[in-house]
Amino acid sequence: MSTAAGAMTPELEFFCVGLNHETSPLEIRDALVLSDEEVGRAIRALRERAGASEALVISTCNRTEVYARGAELPNPPAFVAALLQEIKGLDLIGSGKSYLYTYREPDSIRHLFRVACGLDSQILGEPQITGQVKDSLTLAGKLGGSGPVMERLLDAALRCAKRARTETGIGRGPVSSAYAAVNLATKVLGSLADKKVLLIGAGEMAGLAACHFMEAGVAQFMVANRSKERAEKLGATIAARAISLEAIPVALPGADIVVSATSSNEPVVREAMVRNAMKIRKNRPLLFLDLAVPRDVEPQVSKLPNVFVHDLDALGQLVAQSLAQRRAEVPKVEAIIESEMARFLRWHRSLAVKPTVTAFRTHFEDIAKEELDRHRGRFRPEDHAALEALVHGIVQKLLHRPTTRLSRADDESEGIARVDAVRDLFGIGQEDSDADRDAR
Amino acid sequence: MQPLIPLLTTTLPALYALSVAAYGRAYADETSSGGRWGPVALRVAVLLHVIYLSARGVTEGHLPLASAYDFLSATALSLAAVYIYLELRQGVRTTGIFVLPLVFLMQVISSAYGNTVPARQPPLFPFWFELHTMTAVLGYGAFFVSAIYGVLFLLLYREIKANRLSFFFRRMPPLETLGRMNVSAASAGLVLLGLAILMGIGWARLAHVELARDPKTWLTVGAWVLLGFAVLAYHRLGWRGPRAVYASLAGFTTLLLSRVVTDLFVRSFHTWR
Repeated sequence: MSTAAGAMTPELEFFCVGLNHETSPLEIRDALVLSDEEVGRAIRALRERAGASEALVISTCNRTEVYARGAELPNPPAFVAALLQEIKGLDLIGSGKSYLYTYREPDSIRHLFRVACGLDSQILGEPQITGQVKDSLTLAGKLGGSGPVMERLLDAALRCAKRARTETGIGRGPVSSAYAAVNLATKVLGSLADKKVLLIGAGEMAGLAACHFMEAGVAQFMVANRSKERAEKLGATIAARAISLEAIPVALPGADIVVSATSSNEPVVREAMVRNAMKIRKNRPLLFLDLAVPRDVEPQVSKLPNVFVHDLDALGQLVAQSLAQRRAEVPKVEAIIESEMARFLRWHRSLAVKPTVTAFRTHFEDIAKEELDRHRGRFRPEDHAALEALVHGIVQKLLHRPTTRLSRADDESEGIARVDAVRDLFGIGQEDSDADRDAR
Repeated sequence: MQPLIPLLTTTLPALYALSVAAYGRAYADETSSGGRWGPVALRVAVLLHVIYLSARGVTEGHLPLASAYDFLSATALSLAAVYIYLELRQGVRTTGIFVLPLVFLMQVISSAYGNTVPARQPPLFPFWFELHTMTAVLGYGAFFVSAIYGVLFLLLYREIKANRLSFFFRRMPPLETLGRMNVSAASAGLVLLGLAILMGIGWARLAHVELARDPKTWLTVGAWVLLGFAVLAYHRLGWRGPRAVYASLAGFTTLLLSRVVTDLFVRSFHTWR
């Protein structure tokens, strides 16, 4: 990165090369998911062969991204493509399609913050990515990839994600049918901790819904399925009792939530069955979540008092509402990202200011010392101490205001230009630039 | 104490208005700051309201329940206090907007038309008769809040049954929580009104007042029995859903009717002057 601020502006030289669900198909993303060991290889290559001072790899099922700082590369995407080919054996360039995107700062920083906040996720605002970013930093730390700047940058990204979750609605509402089912159940029944769930069907959808209900605190499950074997298989994973479809009328009064997801062409739950169950359960609310197509629950069931029936259309409506709500929150999250970016860049600029202030002071103190040594012989030995104190006092007074202003330079928009001007005016030169670079 | 009264007379509606605005914002946008400073404004308002009524009591020499405007102010305080109790118990802040505008309206009318600095008067009735009136007013407030939650329950019940998952659906607490708020408020009202009825009966015996011919007494006892049944049905018979809510709403309607009948159609010691 080069800025108008001039030669002494700290160079972050931070780039990101990667691919995600928007730029590549699932089979490519799947093929590029890196194990911890492969991430280690990538980080080593970036440090040793590309000269990066710090490197980080985020690899999930929806993205593989390489972040590096200080790398001396004429063509980062070509390097990363070659590296991924070397590790995973997948030729991203030879295929003729452009899957990789490249960001250089400040866009690379903005992109990392967007990723951490879930703005770049397939499901807008999904929370898992924040944990994945954190895990990537931990891994980079273990593998020697991260340093002070990268750690500070990731801290800023994670703080940004936390703010986005607490200050905006980017993570609110269900964004999948299975999760919408849990959301709806909570809306009707309140806490689910003491509720019983009857799963009708033992397929993928029923299993997914069971997982979400377990996460919501449900501890008691029953699984009814045509094939007892499959019911028992699912039952074993969620500590549920397996029953046959014929036993549903017996199990129904004891359930509070019924999740139905069979492939049956005929309704599995009949109105008479539910009417009887409601009598036995003294009319306590009963919720049906019908995730099957065609529907498993007879339409007349929804007319019974205190019986709530919701099908995939209703759940889809909830998901659509949540996504629309989350989209409306994006500008608020972007504002947080900009403010956190500004904060990080300010900190980074301050890295250049501190050595300049030190060099500026040393420059004046050296002149004072030289002059004192040159003229020391003209004064009586008993006056030397007073003379040194006088000169030191004058230097301190002369330097007070400029050093104070310089120390605050990282907080001000023209601060970096001021730092450059001071270095230029007082000849604080190349030898200090090298020291600055070392300090960073 | 006396100089406080005019100041609080104008401050109270302003504070309740602030609370309404904050709770309105919290309802419209969950992430807004309204959810944080609304409860603060409301608690300050209730505290000042207690100070206001106490100052009135000290200045006037009896509990400030001498007029319909006083009754409105005390009911407003009761509504707000019961709402705070429910909010603390259930941790729900998005329903304040359905209760607090009523509190604001009642206090505005009371502040605008009530006598702001009344002169000291001799007590109207013995202290514990006044206590009967005060507990009754607090009970009315609790039943009023219970009725509001009953209506909210029915609205949400209909929305969920009909798969109309609107903004109202998203902003409301779970249906089960609304049902619990409805019953909790009714239970508080039941205790307060029960105490009021007992104190009223005791006073009537001592003062040789004929209660048997007072329609207000009969209607109030009838309402209390109905509301008692609704609360009992919820706790003992496991009634949930609209049936329990309709029972409590029937009790509240009877209670409201007893007030209207007393004030508009008959003259008795229960009629507000």
